[in-house]
Amino acid sequence: MNTQAIKELLYKMADDLLIIGHRNSEWTGLGPILEEDISFSSMAQDKIGQSQAIFQLLNDLGEQEPDTVAFMRGAAQFHNARFLELPNGEYDFSLVRHFLFDHADQLRFEALANSSYEPLAKVAKKVKGELKYHVFHANTWLVKLGQANENSHNRMQAALNQAWNYALGMFEESAHEDALITEGIFEGELALRDKWLATITPIILKAGLQIPASNEWQPIYGGRICQHTEHLSPLVEEMSEVFRYDPTAEW
Amino acid sequence: MYGNAYIDPNDKAAQMIAGEDPQKLAEFEARIAKGEKIEPKDWMPKEYRKQLVRMIEQHAHSEIIGALPEGTWITRAPGFKRKLALMAKVQDEVGHAQLLYSAAETLGKSREAMINDLITGKSKYSNVFNYPAFTWADACIIAWLIDAGAIINQVANAKGSYGPYCRALDRICTEESFHLKYGHDNVVTLATGTPKQREMVQAALTRWWPPIMHFFGPSDKISNHTEILMRWKVKMASNDDMRQQFLNMYVPKIWDLGLTLPDPNLKKNAEGKWEYTEPDWDEFKRVVNGDGPCNAERLAVRRNAEERGRWVREALNTTESKYIVPLA
Amino acid sequence: MIKSLDPRITRAEIDLENPIDPLKELDQWETYEVFHQKRRGDQHMHVGIVHAPNAEMAFIFAKEQYGRRGLSVNIWVVKTRDVYSSEYDDSDIFETVPEKQYREAGGYKVMEKINKYKKGV
Repeated sequence: MNTQAIKELLYKMADDLLIIGHRNSEWTGLGPILEEDISFSSMAQDKIGQSQAIFQLLNDLGEQEPDTVAFMRGAAQFHNARFLELPNGEYDFSLVRHFLFDHADQLRFEALANSSYEPLAKVAKKVKGELKYHVFHANTWLVKLGQANENSHNRMQAALNQAWNYALGMFEESAHEDALITEGIFEGELALRDKWLATITPIILKAGLQIPASNEWQPIYGGRICQHTEHLSPLVEEMSEVFRYDPTAEW
Repeated sequence: MYGNAYIDPNDKAAQMIAGEDPQKLAEFEARIAKGEKIEPKDWMPKEYRKQLVRMIEQHAHSEIIGALPEGTWITRAPGFKRKLALMAKVQDEVGHAQLLYSAAETLGKSREAMINDLITGKSKYSNVFNYPAFTWADACIIAWLIDAGAIINQVANAKGSYGPYCRALDRICTEESFHLKYGHDNVVTLATGTPKQREMVQAALTRWWPPIMHFFGPSDKISNHTEILMRWKVKMASNDDMRQQFLNMYVPKIWDLGLTLPDPNLKKNAEGKWEYTEPDWDEFKRVVNGDGPCNAERLAVRRNAEERGRWVREALNTTESKYIVPLA
Repeated sequence: MIKSLDPRITRAEIDLENPIDPLKELDQWETYEVFHQKRRGDQHMHVGIVHAPNAEMAFIFAKEQYGRRGLSVNIWVVKTRDVYSSEYDDSDIFETVPEKQYREAGGYKVMEKINKYKKGV
């Protein structure tokens, strides 16, 4: 097995999940209505938990402890897609990002359930139920708000437009793409992107929304090679503030 | 997380039952004396309804406002375990608000009306949440000791007479037991940790002790009013009794950790009663009435949250919706 | 603007003086009654309500509010206004005269007859 390729795959997944979970947790206590506040928080918790599970796989491959890796690196060592580090904005953007990311996440784990790298396949099978709920939640909200009234339609469309190229950036290929595919570890980013487009398109249409015209598609890459927007560094500093207050301590 | 409803000692007991049908009142009181619960559509004295609405509503507000001081640290919790647990705990507080607003709604006040009364400052919430959580350790002290106080109050109230409130409290108490364990684990970790951690938790404890002593409210004035509320099982324990119970359960645990409390007079006397320096009740009243370190921020944040969410709620509000009071 | 100890609040750029229009009626939507089944074979139990704008969201909300801990296999949600409920004032409607042994198992005592018959034989 190509350990380097696996590690890179695991790092980007773990970082994606950590950063989106962290962002989504910022809504806790401040959501649009109590019931949705609770529902959204559960998903943020699921994401952080999934991230921890992937960091554990990395630890099993000889990387440092999950806490150390997650809370002691600088922003320039994170592999998450840039999309996920963007500030929450209003609930429209948060929901659209949740929709676009969670479909990709579900399809990624679905593919990985058959990975030749068994520890990852095992995790993928374990989180299936959580992802099903996340996607159901995302679809319901997108479809309802996309066509509820003019204001909500316009907001959701604007959020989708704003998110789109960043979302395409989730499928930035790694240098190890071929190795992952030939060794049956992962089907590769391009295959995932195709499946993702095929899955989300009918739902977006059902919501009465439009995907930006394909000649305007310009994926925003960089995250996978640790090049980020200005938003990641403050996020990471904030996240690890207490942890770093006394790095020798057990918290 | 909640202390106790503030009951106006000047309310006249005579006014509480004035104009009530004596036979219905007798049946109502007999039902409560038998240990039966009152359900939403039952006949009840106007004053019973009023006091319960006020109390459950204040409790609900305390949960949603209580999500803010601990939420202060939600993006900074150190390590996966703490991060996940704090997210779950703050989520629970939001969940408790939902359960309690629902219970209060069964008495005929809509959630909208309750939120409006909160954000305009008309309705109160527990005073402790008007204090800031300066450090991570403050959030840990809140999770342990404020939740501990809340459990004492909630366990007592869960034996009250109003069915929907008791049911909500049963569920809430189960979740609070996780909060208490979580809080205690955090405080123990800090107190037995590095010198920096210990210093942090001692400072937080010192800051939070006065609000904790305020938590259950001033001594109850014995009046006909409180007697009636106790007979109706609206008020289940006296403020002083709950404070004694709290001190008895938690001061030894705090001292076990070698932490000190900022009250030289705090001790258990020969009769087994805790003696302490009388809390500053003028400050308590000042903060209740809006002049605490965080009152203005807490309400501004709630207003902001309501306003930012308004478009979402409005969009999904269909013309055929119709509100009716929930059943139970 | 509030400079809060909570970085989320500081980022939200909130004015300390920010009066808002009061929430209107139905701002919080209508309510659904939630019935939760822990395990297959159990009855669905009423556990509370959620405020929701439609049935799917009521289900989502109910799942998280009432099913995020412990066991769940199934949830029903039904609009509160679609539930017909009896009045506690009318609970005497459930009272009935006790002389209805004919529909209770205990109302049938055959052993007496059998024993008498056996003695007689």
